[in-house]
Amino acid sequence: MKFWQKIYLFSILVFVIIFNIASILVIERSHNKMLGQAINVALSQNISIHSSVDAIVPILRIYDSIDYEKTVLTRIANEFVDKNSEQGVYMDITDDSQRTVFNNSDFPMPAARSELDNLDEDSIHSILREIDARTILFTSNITDINHKKYVFTYMKDVTSVYQDRIDQYSFFAKVDLAACLLFMVIMFFVSRGLTRSIDRLNRTAKVIAQGDFSERVTLKSRDEIGILGSNFNEMAEVVEDKINELERNNEEKQRFINNFTHELKTPLTSIIGYANFLRTTKYNEELFVDGLNVIYSEGKRLESLSLKLMDLILLQKEQIQMELQDLGEIITEIKPALEIMAKEKNAAIALDCEKGELPLERDLIKVLIFNLVDNALKASSPEQTITLRAYWQGGNYILAVIDQGIGIGQEDQDKIFEPFFMADKSRTRRSNGAGLGLAICQNVAGIHGAVIRVNSVVQQGTTVEVVFGSNPVAESELRP
Amino acid sequence: MNKKILIVEDDVHISKIIKMNLNLMNYATTEAYDGLAAFEMLKREKFDLILLDVMIPHLDGFELMERIKSYGTPVIFLTAKNSVYDKVNGLKLGADDYMVKPFEAIELLARIETVLRRYGHEDRVVEFQHVQVDLDKREVVIQEAPVELTPKEYELLVVLLKNKNIALTREQFLDKVWGGDYYGETRTVDMHIKSLRKKLGLQDQIKTIYKIGYRLED
Repeated sequence: MKFWQKIYLFSILVFVIIFNIASILVIERSHNKMLGQAINVALSQNISIHSSVDAIVPILRIYDSIDYEKTVLTRIANEFVDKNSEQGVYMDITDDSQRTVFNNSDFPMPAARSELDNLDEDSIHSILREIDARTILFTSNITDINHKKYVFTYMKDVTSVYQDRIDQYSFFAKVDLAACLLFMVIMFFVSRGLTRSIDRLNRTAKVIAQGDFSERVTLKSRDEIGILGSNFNEMAEVVEDKINELERNNEEKQRFINNFTHELKTPLTSIIGYANFLRTTKYNEELFVDGLNVIYSEGKRLESLSLKLMDLILLQKEQIQMELQDLGEIITEIKPALEIMAKEKNAAIALDCEKGELPLERDLIKVLIFNLVDNALKASSPEQTITLRAYWQGGNYILAVIDQGIGIGQEDQDKIFEPFFMADKSRTRRSNGAGLGLAICQNVAGIHGAVIRVNSVVQQGTTVEVVFGSNPVAESELRP
Repeated sequence: MNKKILIVEDDVHISKIIKMNLNLMNYATTEAYDGLAAFEMLKREKFDLILLDVMIPHLDGFELMERIKSYGTPVIFLTAKNSVYDKVNGLKLGADDYMVKPFEAIELLARIETVLRRYGHEDRVVEFQHVQVDLDKREVVIQEAPVELTPKEYELLVVLLKNKNIALTREQFLDKVWGGDYYGETRTVDMHIKSLRKKLGLQDQIKTIYKIGYRLED
């Protein structure tokens, strides 16, 4: 059963039960009150008859005649009955020998009258009786007149009180029906209205479940369902972000794999192609030397690619042990190696390093420096100088690799950190590059909590700065 | 007339090795190192076939493909990518074939020939010195006198002609002439070569290449 139907049925059930019980209680109470009033009236009438009889008892005592007593009593009774003739009031007076002195009832008196048992002079007994579809209230008392006990029974027709109750019930039945119908109609809309937002939430959840993660629910209410809705939206937001992130990661990985296959297959195609050409065609000295040169240089390119990949794998190491070391000292230590690299290109290396104790991973830092110097050398012409400066600036320790080379075009500056990106493909290829250098550097810097900023002017040179700092500066600020 | 083939490949070495192989087969070649240069060349000149690398600067292979669709020039894609998506994309754009790097020269030559034949650009009569071969009639003629060849000998001759100046291994001959599921001995190839040399007088032209196989040289 649907939730709105549950609300609907349950509230109707509760309403019907409570409304009916309450109404019945009200009707019954007012009926009992009316009946009580009728009884009280009857009792007071009885008492007033009693007292008027008492008033004439001394006179009767003077005469002491049964006939006279009966006449007087009959007259009193008649007077009383006349006075209340329209109100269904009856009198019955019997003497102690059970003979009727007066009776004006228009119904047969009941044979057994239990109220007369144990009746004494000081009390009035009353009882309700159903006679001929009428309800009659009997009130009886005993009056002693000249040592004779007369039973006075005052009777009142209280059928109207009961009739009232029936009328009220029938009126109530109509009201009950109307109220229930009205309630059902109102409740239908109320319960639908209350659950509409749940329905909406439900539909949205379904749409999201089908893969449309950008779907959101719009609930204006500020109640619990409204809060649930906004929490739901928050959740959907997080899920969407996560999925987008995963997709981005996936795309990045796919791009890496595509680039990697390209970088791997290009030299392989050349090597296989030339080797096969040389072994299957007629010997030609010029082609032979050319071919072998290509095979050699492409082989070197593969070697450099595999070394770079080893560096990348090194970076994936789960635990990297950082130790407090002097970066300036590491640079000085690898200077001879850097100079050998520079000699091939006929370039010079200049050092200007302050002492800088930092938590470092020695091998990774060497990889970083080698890559930066390698990049600088690739951009440089012979006789130019590559400068390595390391200095403190405002709580940050900065390692700068400065060249006077060809520089990087403005349009390429934000792409240079992408794996396999090469600003100048043919030049990079010629120097056995794979386009992984800066990607590796950025990884190393990231591990050390450092950021890399690049400042380059075409044909004037490039300055690459690695900023180590206790208070890391936001990356966006640093990258132009 | 020699068929003109445009090689669009950004890697100089690969471009050159393709060119060298095609030149052996007497194809005329032009090289373009990026998409835009290739596009300019295609606007000026008509080519019989384009060998098109997908990852090239300025205008990638797929984009270039879109632009030159209306020229109706057959295209064979060359790429390092091996993904189904790229293959489907390339073929959907109207490429005639697809080669994944690294590839063998004879494989490339075979695909080029297939595509050219499909476009009716292939010469149906092949001449090699004094030997004339009519590929439609499957006829071999020397100085207007027909030569009787067995079907296998004929096919072996065609393979030699189509891979002129390139040495093929005995296994490659077996594969191309007898089919991939033939597990014959390589000696079968030697027998047929011997017989071809004799029947066609090509003792000097069909060279035995040490440790490889045979090559038809002009």
